[in-house]
Amino acid sequence: MTGAEHPFGAARMQPFGRRVRVRNGWMVGVWLLLGALLLWYSTLIPVFGPFQITSISKNSLPLVYLAIGQAIIVIAGGIDLSLGALLLLSNVIAARFMDGQPVGVVVVIAIALIAALALLNALTGYVITLSGVPDIVVTLATSYIWSGLALWILPSPGGGTAPEMRWLFTGSTSGIGGSSWPPILMMLIPCAVIAIWARRTRQGLTLYAVGSNKTAARLSGLDVRRAKIVSYAIGGGMAALAGLATVAITGTGDPRFSVGTNATLNSVAAVVLGGIALTGGIGNPFGVVATAVILVMLNPILIAMGVNSNNAQVIQGVLIAGVMMVGGLVALLRERAS
Amino acid sequence: MKQLRARLADNPLASLVGVLIVLFVVTGAVQPGFFSLNGARNTLLQAAPLGILAAAQTVLMLTGGIDLSVTMIATGAAYIAANQSPNGAAAAIVMGLLVGLLIGSLNGAGVAVFRVNPLIMTLAMSGIVLGLFTAWTQTVLAGATQVAPLIKLLGGGAFLGIVPYSVLVWGGVSLLLIWLLRRSGWGRLIYAIGDNEVAVQLAGVRAWQVRLSAYALSGLLGAISGILLAGRTGAVDLQLAGAFLLPSVAAAVIGGTSIFGGVGGYAGTILGALILSVLNSLLTFLNVGQAIQQVVYGVIVLALAWGYASLTRRSAT
Repeated sequence: MTGAEHPFGAARMQPFGRRVRVRNGWMVGVWLLLGALLLWYSTLIPVFGPFQITSISKNSLPLVYLAIGQAIIVIAGGIDLSLGALLLLSNVIAARFMDGQPVGVVVVIAIALIAALALLNALTGYVITLSGVPDIVVTLATSYIWSGLALWILPSPGGGTAPEMRWLFTGSTSGIGGSSWPPILMMLIPCAVIAIWARRTRQGLTLYAVGSNKTAARLSGLDVRRAKIVSYAIGGGMAALAGLATVAITGTGDPRFSVGTNATLNSVAAVVLGGIALTGGIGNPFGVVATAVILVMLNPILIAMGVNSNNAQVIQGVLIAGVMMVGGLVALLRERAS
Repeated sequence: MKQLRARLADNPLASLVGVLIVLFVVTGAVQPGFFSLNGARNTLLQAAPLGILAAAQTVLMLTGGIDLSVTMIATGAAYIAANQSPNGAAAAIVMGLLVGLLIGSLNGAGVAVFRVNPLIMTLAMSGIVLGLFTAWTQTVLAGATQVAPLIKLLGGGAFLGIVPYSVLVWGGVSLLLIWLLRRSGWGRLIYAIGDNEVAVQLAGVRAWQVRLSAYALSGLLGAISGILLAGRTGAVDLQLAGAFLLPSVAAAVIGGTSIFGGVGGYAGTILGALILSVLNSLLTFLNVGQAIQQVVYGVIVLALAWGYASLTRRSAT
């Protein structure tokens, strides 16, 4: 990652074509990789049709939402280890209170949940700016608080949601099979809105500015605190959406701590693989959508290749580490060359 | 009052000791039996593996890194030790430690040579180790669930029936680590790299070697902790150490080690590990259920970190 990918400054000096290439190269690359993987997967299994497309797109929804939220927070210079716990919280509240309710009530609960968790995580962001405690520590502590609350609300897996809700995220009222358009649209619309907001609006670019250099951003008159709080609010809202998607896909709520931890760690992996620097200020959130889907797809692909699921986990880890090593090596060689 | 605050700010470890004493007294008030020798021993038995895992995090956090795989390393080392137990306890322990050293060195190579972000490298490594051991428990490691009697004694027994052996191990590790960090050239480089790696490199130090050695040490410490844990529980499973991951980071943070590197030390981490262990006992005695336990744990970790930050910031300005 060099200064050339920066949304402000040095990039202005370079010819337009190169600038576009450098800025969007990684994002286009991961989407091409996703396309190639899909093609390959379609040759691996005997039947590849709408059923598989629906299945892949709906199963990636929770991670895609969580990763987009994480991406926005990381771009603004933070990192949120509580997103998985917020997913749990949203999942169990939805499962407990939506069970057996008419569709109107379910929609109200869903909207209220998104607003409430956005507010809750904005509060986390506020605590970070107020206390001066690093993001990673504050969100580590809040991850305990939220997952404890989730366990208190729903002590054991159960609950449910309205068929309409399930249709919205899975394309079928029973959660099995169905049309692939609802999940694909539910994936692309929120992500496109957030990605375009981040890249094209004043407030979105503020996040990049704050993430790349807090002091410079403050000195040029940007509200650094507000940027952090806004980024955390978006992360919280996306985590709520991820929890809603989870209840729609599985049909139940599951308060297990490990589910939340895994979701958090996968969201960080998707963000980094998607070309967003953990140091903040660099990267396009839209690339993260592709890497999140890739991470979810890896398992079925490896299993279709005849690898057992434990080895699949090993290969996934090796691939993540391997990709990052190659990335580090390329950066190192580029540095040596210049 | 102002003077007291200034004094605490100059010496933040004193306030940690205060927190520990308050927690200790409260716990004793809730459960009178806690004040006995037995109560203290149980707390220390809990604190030792956590303290050693937190030692790994402390060293890495001083360099600006972190190890999310340290608990999987601990679990892996415990498995190897259990598998090698029929060959004698010494062989089992050495093999377990070697496995920890190996995995830690791989982490170190990824972070120091290939410049992978430590969070990602150790996260990926954690997945790799979990996958490998899940597969191996059904094949080459099948049946390896019990550890040798000597390891059981080390993890759960007590010297003369009073001081647990695991606490003695922890004490030895602590002394060595504090000496290394404060007095050795290696320790100074650990701080220097966390403070300003470019300056260290310009001064002619091969920073990557120091970094790699820190991750290898982290793996070794993880293995020690895992073997002690296996000895305490007497058996191994894949969830042996997992629950200690977040507390190990929290103990270092509460103890005043900066997650950005260059600031902190192991003495604070020891207090952090003790505080978290007493807190754990307190929450267990209160019998409030796991949900409330988690919430209270999170709130107190946040409050301690916040308090520490505001205390030390006042002294800086």
